[in-house]
Amino acid sequence: MKALFRLLSRTKLYWGLLLICLIGAVISPQTSSGHNIFLSYGNLTDVLRQVSITGLVATGMTMVILLGGIDLSVGSVMGFSTVICAMLLTKPGWTAASVIGVPAAILVGGATVALAARFVFAGLARGRDVSAGRRREISLTRWQSTGIPGLLGLVAAIAIGWWTMSQVPAKFGVLGALVIAPCLAMVLGGINGLLIVAGRLQPFIATLAMMVSALGISRLTAGSDNAVVPVYTGTNATEAFELLRSMLWGVLPVPSVFFLAAIGLFGAILRFTTFGRYAYAIGGNIEAAKLSGIKVAQVQLTAYLLSGLLAGIAGVLFVAQYRQGKPDAGTGLELDAIAAVVIGGTSLMGGRGGLAGTFVGVLIFGLLSDILQLQNIDSNVQLVMKGLIIVCTVLVQEQNLGQLVARWRFRRSGEAQADPRTAEPHRPPSAAKAQLAREDLDEAS
Amino acid sequence: MTIYLPVGWTPARAAGKSKVGFSQCTTLEPWRVQFNKDIQAEAKNHPDIDLIITDGQDKTEKQVADCDNLIVQQVNVLLISPKESAGLTGVVEKGIDAKIPVIVLDRNVDTKRITQFIGGDNVAIGKAAGEHAVKLLGGPGKAAGNVVEIWGGMGTQPAHDRHDGFHAFTDKEKGIKYLLNNQSGDWKQDKAYDIMTTALRNNEKIDMVYGHNDPMAYGAYLAAKDAGRDKDIKFIIGIDGLPDEGVTWVSKGQLTATFLYATPGAEGLRQAAKLLKGEKLEPVITLPTMLITKENASEILKKNG
Repeated sequence: MKALFRLLSRTKLYWGLLLICLIGAVISPQTSSGHNIFLSYGNLTDVLRQVSITGLVATGMTMVILLGGIDLSVGSVMGFSTVICAMLLTKPGWTAASVIGVPAAILVGGATVALAARFVFAGLARGRDVSAGRRREISLTRWQSTGIPGLLGLVAAIAIGWWTMSQVPAKFGVLGALVIAPCLAMVLGGINGLLIVAGRLQPFIATLAMMVSALGISRLTAGSDNAVVPVYTGTNATEAFELLRSMLWGVLPVPSVFFLAAIGLFGAILRFTTFGRYAYAIGGNIEAAKLSGIKVAQVQLTAYLLSGLLAGIAGVLFVAQYRQGKPDAGTGLELDAIAAVVIGGTSLMGGRGGLAGTFVGVLIFGLLSDILQLQNIDSNVQLVMKGLIIVCTVLVQEQNLGQLVARWRFRRSGEAQADPRTAEPHRPPSAAKAQLAREDLDEAS
Repeated sequence: MTIYLPVGWTPARAAGKSKVGFSQCTTLEPWRVQFNKDIQAEAKNHPDIDLIITDGQDKTEKQVADCDNLIVQQVNVLLISPKESAGLTGVVEKGIDAKIPVIVLDRNVDTKRITQFIGGDNVAIGKAAGEHAVKLLGGPGKAAGNVVEIWGGMGTQPAHDRHDGFHAFTDKEKGIKYLLNNQSGDWKQDKAYDIMTTALRNNEKIDMVYGHNDPMAYGAYLAAKDAGRDKDIKFIIGIDGLPDEGVTWVSKGQLTATFLYATPGAEGLRQAAKLLKGEKLEPVITLPTMLITKENASEILKKNG
């Protein structure tokens, strides 16, 4: 019985998602031929498409929040990316501007690949060691830990650079959209990271400053007489760019492919690589992480870089979907993303949670929006209901369902019992913490 | 890298010119951008006027500070397009107390002491849209069809005026059915796109879309196009009629019609110039609207270059 409660409690987010789907299906309007609209394939893929932009941003946000930080700049950074992308697609003169864009893309791309490769390589090496049945962690030699990832990064940077140059200017529009805009967004993310790591600013302050200034940068970039940069077909927006809003093989909307891939990739990175382990460790206790020799600065910098990159990709998808770039495209997006992350069970204190939760959180938000919209509920009422949903979900998330039920049962039987938490066998704090982290990892997988 | 030159930088102001200050509430919307373009273009016709434009960045407190600043600079005329009435009334009265005549543009403030108000009439434009909609759907008495209305911001007066005006005509028709219940696209193309996607899913037959502005009508058109149903939905109507937006879309046949909501920029500066010459101004000027369809769209585009 206890095990059942435990299971229920640990999977409650998924049950919540199922419940929402059930409610949606039951109250859904029908087409004239009697089909359930909510459950129709078109509607469900629409939801996936609609949540993709917020979802990508929330993916980056999850990693930042896991580290105990926060990134308020994602909305503005996405807006910046939409402007860059739209201008590369529409303004011929922008080929010149890319002289800055391409090297920046190479630099940042290379640096990030090097950083990431370092963690992935180290993580894989350790993984192999554990699977061989040896508990002892191998210590990487200096050459292994920096040389190989560095070399990989260099090769990758040269490859990206070579490919980028070879594409200029034939398919410049699409290239600009796919590479330069996200990479420049990543530069902004990198500035966030540097301010926090090297400037020792609080993440809230550093990213708040970026949130304000990125809006200004995008408005300057768009030019003072452009509140919107429209992207029409027939400009540089070639068919390849049109693909970004189509259905992949008629099955999945392309934006959602990006979202699912990001969740999959970064979920795996958090679960299986050193970067992931370090991220949880730093979020759990930054001092302890520093003392145990984790390169905190590097991990933090990577997280903010990735957050910027994902916001940048979201910006490109925004342009593809809505055919316009605008500085304020992402207004309020950071709050939506934080809400999805929190609904997904990631603690704002850091160290607990994961991308599986964020994925469900984003879906819950999107499905609810869809249900309310299908019910044709007044826009203002929708806002109130979304607020209520955030509060309710987090209330349920933060309570232990098993404990709630247990308390209720004890009250009914009139027995005064100790809190089940204190009744558990005493463990040394460090072991308890390790156990908690393990559980979170299991939950996240 | 010319794009990164400071945009607000202007040469030292020549002596002996009259100073006209204009406090704009935001420049983040295309209509406001056009507004600024109009007033700047008109300023070129008045070499004796030195025009100073400030941007309130969509914040009441910033706009109040802008006005304070213009009052301190002792402008000869203060033009203001307030973000909202209540918050800006105080600073407008402060200007009037400092013996600066104030001309209010687009949205009014809560004081009778201003020199002039210039603006469009959203109710009249909504009515014109409603009349046109009835005509497109079969004519008075026989009009029939399913209509999707996408609201601007639910809390803004223009949205309510555009709604009320439209319904003053369409509500008389028994055959017209409204499919959406107060759905706000927040004046934005992307929000309207998502609303329309769901509306298309929910309804097999949609005859007409009425967007409270052009970007939302265009967003609805894009959603219909992506769903392969843009040919079924016959009429998509917007409001604003900006050259780069609504008029272009109408000329391409993507929107059926749009209604001009002229910016009071040029007229505002002309009136300020009159005032500086010592003429007396009428208390209110209402800017007329205009129906823009495929027939006259290209002509308007030519006129705007």
